[in-house]
Amino acid sequence: MISGRPQKAKSPKPLWGTLLFPVSVLVIYGILFTVFPDRAWLALKGSIAVFLRLLLPLGLVFVVMLAFNLLLKPAQIVRFLGKNAGIKGIILSMAGGIISAGPIYAWYPLLAEVRKKGAGNISITVFLYNRAVKPFLLPVMIAYFGWAYVGTLTFLTMLASIGIGYCLSLLIKENSYR
Amino acid sequence: MHKGASVVKVAIAAEGSDLGASTAHRFGMSPFLVIVDLDTGEFEAVTSPDAGKRGAGMQAVVLALSKDVKAVLTGYCSPTARSHLTANGIDVFTGVTGTVGEAFEKYKRGDFQRSLESEPHAPGDGTEPKPVSFTRALRNSLRQFATLFPVMVSVVLLVGLLNAFVSRSLLASILSGNAALDTLWGACFGSILAGNPINSYIIGGQLLEQGISLFAVTALMVTWVTVGVVQLPAEMAALGKRFALLRNAICFVAALPISVVTVAIFNLLAR
Repeated sequence: MISGRPQKAKSPKPLWGTLLFPVSVLVIYGILFTVFPDRAWLALKGSIAVFLRLLLPLGLVFVVMLAFNLLLKPAQIVRFLGKNAGIKGIILSMAGGIISAGPIYAWYPLLAEVRKKGAGNISITVFLYNRAVKPFLLPVMIAYFGWAYVGTLTFLTMLASIGIGYCLSLLIKENSYR
Repeated sequence: MHKGASVVKVAIAAEGSDLGASTAHRFGMSPFLVIVDLDTGEFEAVTSPDAGKRGAGMQAVVLALSKDVKAVLTGYCSPTARSHLTANGIDVFTGVTGTVGEAFEKYKRGDFQRSLESEPHAPGDGTEPKPVSFTRALRNSLRQFATLFPVMVSVVLLVGLLNAFVSRSLLASILSGNAALDTLWGACFGSILAGNPINSYIIGGQLLEQGISLFAVTALMVTWVTVGVVQLPAEMAALGKRFALLRNAICFVAALPISVVTVAIFNLLAR
């Protein structure tokens, strides 16, 4: 995985779990093709049109993903979440969240570990919130919503992560989160 | 060899928690890491909760990093763990046998050779680790993409069904056009649904084309990643019940003003 995902991290999601959704969708299509063939065909044609529209942004997604994989390592992201408090620590946590990738449950064991070693609630919260900012997926988002919208949402998301981090650190004292 | 730091520590993969314990063969699978202070000989044993399980290698790397050790002594270290350790300036010595105490004494005497595959480095000494090879990065990217692809295609297929089978009037009856209510509905859907954010963009984009308000779509995309009802049990187990519940609740509430302000600013910019 890219830079950010903890490789071989423990995943609670078995293979059948990953395939359950795609297989379910295919079964639904199978049933609908039998019962409402015309509409199902319309749905399939609509899906193909959507997919074709996504091809170029997806190509860009792959290029950015490759660049991240070339330049970043998971252990570097873990270090972003150190004990460093203050604005520098927050910026590093933001950067860690933004460049991290992969399913969130793969990150939980590592986050729990770095917290035991001193990472604060702000760092963890800021990291988790900034996972909503995905640079390598921006081509798709921009294709749908445009630069102005994506820029505004991204900026507000990053800003909000700090506020939420502070809010949570006020509500929960360090080391008393259980 | 041990330059710079005031406290120099080494981590030794071990079967037990003291200096008399046998060294462990595999770094990632070892039940304990015994951290020994090179100057005083004092030691502590740390263990990973998932020792021996899948993913334990990465946790062992994190443990070593968090203990600020200068070297890891073990029988064997996987290439992945080794690359993370050396990338962070930790020397890796493999082929280590005997007890933890014996390994430590050998290390102090400088008897070990660094593992050939992992040339260590010090910042600025010109031997920083080589960047990830292009082939490996390409392989990782393809694997990532392959993981993302089946669900994304399924979402696109579902979007096709939504367009063909669900009328605009039905959607309009659920999402009334009232900014506050639409935002709330969007946030609820986004909190329940989970998966790669790219799927929320696709669904959001199609809903927008169906006439759903940008407020609802924005709230859906914001909560898609920041609030996780499905992942809540896993988050509670790892980060604590209180933390997980409060974090998700605050993120849900925050998604509402964030969505409204985003759309308001966007509308201003679009004028």
